[in-house]
Amino acid sequence: MTTIRARSRTREVFIHLSAYLTIFVALVLTLFPIYWIAANSFKFDIDIFAVPPEWLPWHPTLKHYDEAFIQRPFLRYALNSFLVAMGTTIVSLVFGTMAGYALARFSYPWEWRKQISFWILSTRMMPPIVSIIPLYLFFNYFDMLNTKSALIVAYTAFNLPFATWMMKSYFQDLPVELEEAAMVDGDTRWGAFLHVALPLARPGLAATAIFCLIISWNEFLLSLIITLTEQSQTLPIGIAGRVTQYKTYWGEISAAGFMACVPIVIFAFMVQKHLVRGLSLGAIKG
Amino acid sequence: MLKSESGPLTAPLRPGGGLERWAERHLRVLMLAPTVLILLGLTIFPSIYMFYAAVHKISPNPDVPWDFVGPGNFVRLLSDQQFHVALLNTVVFTVSAVTAEFLLGLGLALLLDKYIRRMTFLKTVLMIPMMLPPIAVAITWKIIYEPQFGVLNEIMYRLGLPLQAWAGDVDLAMFSIIVADVWQWTPFIFLLMLAGLASLPVEPYEAAELDGASSWRQFWDLTVPFLKPVIAIALLLRVMDALRLFDLVFILTGGGPADRTKVLSLYIYQVAYRFADVGYAAAISLFVLFVTIVLSTWFMKRMRLAE
Repeated sequence: MTTIRARSRTREVFIHLSAYLTIFVALVLTLFPIYWIAANSFKFDIDIFAVPPEWLPWHPTLKHYDEAFIQRPFLRYALNSFLVAMGTTIVSLVFGTMAGYALARFSYPWEWRKQISFWILSTRMMPPIVSIIPLYLFFNYFDMLNTKSALIVAYTAFNLPFATWMMKSYFQDLPVELEEAAMVDGDTRWGAFLHVALPLARPGLAATAIFCLIISWNEFLLSLIITLTEQSQTLPIGIAGRVTQYKTYWGEISAAGFMACVPIVIFAFMVQKHLVRGLSLGAIKG
Repeated sequence: MLKSESGPLTAPLRPGGGLERWAERHLRVLMLAPTVLILLGLTIFPSIYMFYAAVHKISPNPDVPWDFVGPGNFVRLLSDQQFHVALLNTVVFTVSAVTAEFLLGLGLALLLDKYIRRMTFLKTVLMIPMMLPPIAVAITWKIIYEPQFGVLNEIMYRLGLPLQAWAGDVDLAMFSIIVADVWQWTPFIFLLMLAGLASLPVEPYEAAELDGASSWRQFWDLTVPFLKPVIAIALLLRVMDALRLFDLVFILTGGGPADRTKVLSLYIYQVAYRFADVGYAAAISLFVLFVTIVLSTWFMKRMRLAE
């Protein structure tokens, strides 16, 4: 009896240990690459190329940040990224919220609600390379290539379905009685949406907005094809431009790449609670 | 469920201007219309236009009219070696990366479920890779893989293993891309599986425990069936994503060496923008779209995810 109990206790300790060890290893594997790009961004070139590598930036420098953001136009790219992401987010949020509310609250004849919901989600699965050629020709025709508005239009294609579905599920979680009470008190249907449902859905709106910002901030392919000028290119394209066939500007791209990650990490902690719902939809990314 | 069914007619219409009343009465259409119209414009229209482009030979010179070639561009797919290579690479990447991510993510979730459930902060830290810009992930791994001064070769050296060119090596390039993708996306599977495990009912397990079912039996007879919908969603999303891989390849290998990592989206990009053969690129894109639709429909039916 005692030996069995002792053995099972040993087993338990073993399981605990291996679980914590796994967590530790997963953390190291997750964080090391991020640490490495950050560390390299603070090193002089000679230390970046050092063999064996400098595990810590012993001689830290902001040289590459100066190169990237003062001497080169990465600040401009970052600003473009930010403006495009903001524009896309506003458009997607406004229309997505209305559509999400409609799909959550209204009834439509002939099962249309289900059909439309599903169709909206399915547009999200379309590979961007598929729509890029017609969009390119379209933007070319209307003289919109190399503009931020073209990017906002293109990004809306994959952020709008996402916003619609996120907001639909948030509205479905809200009790409908509050809106009904407002309407009994004389508010219109639209007024009930505006004054009752919308304020209650504020956390959902915030999470959706942040996910839209992240998706647009990260986007690469569409921007690569639609924009060629410094005035319109986004940060990912700016970074990719410094990886050339002949030379890679390691320090500069490390600094810019690391700075591109910083807002995302901040956002990640802001939406911790909404991570699963948001990312399972958000992962159908552009 | 029921609450979402409730219609707009629970309150009487308030008197107001004619337009206002009209808008109020048609609110359910008006609120949905912008989204539907925008998405029609941005997805259905491009798809149709794409089909139109795919049956033409399009000259890079905009003044030259499009030349109708019928199914010519599609026939070309059959004998295009480069296309076959890209297709094969895409399949290899998708199958290997998604399998690895799935096994790792599910394994980690099963092992760590009880330990990590309350550690929200830690969970969020583990989720960081999947939210980072793919371009940042790509350059991070480019630095790690660098053959001369990269940290991976340093580790190989310390372990007494042969140094490799990684992303530059014919045999290892695809593997290098897969590793970077696994690094970024395993957390996604892990997160979804954790959510699935958190929603498992307790009672069946208590009953199984009483019946003396082994934990292996409990896993196969209870956990797997319960998790099936979550697993299906996770796999579907990852497969769709893997089929459109672009950023990692573009930065890490540019499709090389010797076309070993040239995937479909990169090939389409090259055909359209380097060889300026937009009609043919449209044909390949349609092929990708077709495969995506067939796969996702089949998958959803199979997993009974129709709703």
